[in-house]
Amino acid sequence: MKPDERSFRVAFVADRYVNPPPGGVDGLAVLAQAGWGVMQLPAPDYPAEITTRVLAEVAEHAEEFSRHGYGFVLVGDGGGLAGALAAVGLAVPDQITPADAAELRSFLDSRPAPPASSWSWLAPGPG
Amino acid sequence: MGVAFVAHCLLNQNSKVGDGAHCAGVYSPVVDVLRDKGWRIEQMPCPELTFTGLNRFWAVREQLDTAAYRRHCRRLAAAMADMIAVRAGQGEDIVLVGVEGSPSMGVHITSSDPARGGHPEWPEGTGEHVSGEGIFVEELRLELARRGITPKLGGETHALADHDEGTQRARLEATLEAPRPQGSAQAPAWQAP
Repeated sequence: MKPDERSFRVAFVADRYVNPPPGGVDGLAVLAQAGWGVMQLPAPDYPAEITTRVLAEVAEHAEEFSRHGYGFVLVGDGGGLAGALAAVGLAVPDQITPADAAELRSFLDSRPAPPASSWSWLAPGPG
Repeated sequence: MGVAFVAHCLLNQNSKVGDGAHCAGVYSPVVDVLRDKGWRIEQMPCPELTFTGLNRFWAVREQLDTAAYRRHCRRLAAAMADMIAVRAGQGEDIVLVGVEGSPSMGVHITSSDPARGGHPEWPEGTGEHVSGEGIFVEELRLELARRGITPKLGGETHALADHDEGTQRARLEATLEAPRPQGSAQAPAWQAP
């Protein structure tokens, strides 16, 4: 069986970096190249009721990752993410609103190794 | 062009069952096709991660098909259907991109073994992939049908024995370019919050 290649690194990512407007920063491409997983935040045009529910689900995912020592960052505006994370006992992670792809890549590469990469029963991936 | 609602793990392989992550984070082959064809990407939740956790065993559909897991999937599906209804109400074409072979996210192929249970060992090469859909995809499709929305359905095939990236790409491209399914007319305004 091929070894598990996960990175134990997860980024909360504002929609504009997953679906960048013309001339915007393609955060998804940078995160893919840097070996980070993505938890997409709801687009700003969704009604508040939907956004709140989605953020609660994102936080529930994050809670499970956190319990296992995965690392987080926030790319872009978190919207109501801070409240959703607080509801599950998590703080907003280090954040960047990158002006360009190089700035985002530098930020990602400067993050410390997540705890899970040294004690998970899974071998750390190449990311 | 339209909006692709993709399985959580296609953007975050960290959510996969242990030994199931094919890459570090973003599974780019599917993202690349959607980007090339001009589709928006929106991420669905991972129902297994938030129900059975990161240390879950590999499972077939029958093991997950409990009343509690169905309720969990229905709750997530209702939230996703609200999002999809907004996009459908905007006149967007909709595609669900799942993970073939998954007991939760399979769209055409799921995993089945009615005899599996007990001590978690089984012979290598057990033929568990069968035609069918995963439990979350089933619940989401039913919820969308109640709202008069019929999405297109595509799947990532990495877990299948005959996986071929070129074939996967061609199939997904054909799905994206196909006419809208019958009954996929724009959702009535009252269904779009």
